Amino acid sequence: MKDSCSSISKLLERYFDQEVTDKERVLVEGHLHGCPACRDALKSLEELSTFIKVPVEEAIQKEDFPWVWQKIEREIRLQKKLTWWQSLRSWIDISPLFRRKVWIPAVATVVVLLFITAQIIFKKTPSYADASVVEYVESETDNVMVYQLEKQKVTVIWVFDEPAKDQTTS
Amino acid sequence: MDHEETEMISRCQQGDQEALKEIFDKYHKKVYRIAYGVVRQREGALDIVQEVFIKLFHTIKNFKGRSRFYTYLYRMTMNTAIDHARKTGKQSVSSLDAEGSFEPSDSVEKGPERILLQKELEERVKRAMDKLPAEQRAALIFRDVEGLSYQEMAEAMGSSIGTVMSRLHYGRKRLQALLKDYVGLHGQGRDSSDPKKQNLPGSKKE
Repeated sequence: MKDSCSSISKLLERYFDQEVTDKERVLVEGHLHGCPACRDALKSLEELSTFIKVPVEEAIQKEDFPWVWQKIEREIRLQKKLTWWQSLRSWIDISPLFRRKVWIPAVATVVVLLFITAQIIFKKTPSYADASVVEYVESETDNVMVYQLEKQKVTVIWVFDEPAKDQTTS
Repeated sequence: MDHEETEMISRCQQGDQEALKEIFDKYHKKVYRIAYGVVRQREGALDIVQEVFIKLFHTIKNFKGRSRFYTYLYRMTMNTAIDHARKTGKQSVSSLDAEGSFEPSDSVEKGPERILLQKELEERVKRAMDKLPAEQRAALIFRDVEGLSYQEMAEAMGSSIGTVMSRLHYGRKRLQALLKDYVGLHGQGRDSSDPKKQNLPGSKKE
């Protein structure tokens, strides 16, 4: 009997889980009819299974699930909603104007143009807009024009050597 | 996997929330059973159900159809439930008055002593299950709660049938040791001498 119990005990769990062949089932049931110890072992397996299973079945019978779906739906909706920054970012990502291949050279060009323009605008050049003519003298040899730049307090004497050639001194 | 389910999964993979609702309607109770089997607590189980379906909506694109869909879902549920149990395990203090513990539906007929005993038993089972390694706990829940075959369990757990059987065996052995005060109590007083009177578990059901 003990040897038989030893070999049957290996099959007992599979028998309990209904994972035995027909031949194995006959073998186990034949042994169980004459072995109280193995029958008790089998009952223990059943009790254990009951402890695990029954509270779960009772809990599920009392449960109301529709509101669970509403929570899931709401959570998915909240996760889909973008912040304003995310919306702007996604627009930037899809707008062809802001593709890296376009905007980097464009920005670089604008920067260079600005640099050149600034150089031109802010370069100190004499301004003759503020000049006022003080005197114009005609002579046989040279014609002279004297005028003053008000802001810079500079006097310019323009000597006309010949009609085609000019000289300036200040 | 039948054609209807394949079509439902395909629509869900394309972001159709209606399809997710259909999947929810079909599987939410199974997911809840597994979740409750792990955490043994109503609020925790409901949180897990919610988390699983939200996760499913975002990751269902990864399901390639190589395994059955329900084993894919069961695996996701078990992993989520075990993570949840791990996170809350240290925080929760189990007590007989803990919210979510078993409450008999018909407390009028059952006396207060019986209710107390049941609560105590439920609490002991929860503590014992918490002490099991995650894989053994998963195996017991898949088998005893969900009734999966060894093959289905192997698919859900991503392991071989031999490994599944081993986990079941050692899980049951450990649980019996932890609940030795309770296992065998129901057997006392019954007539075990006459096998014909016994309705043996595991025998072929007609």
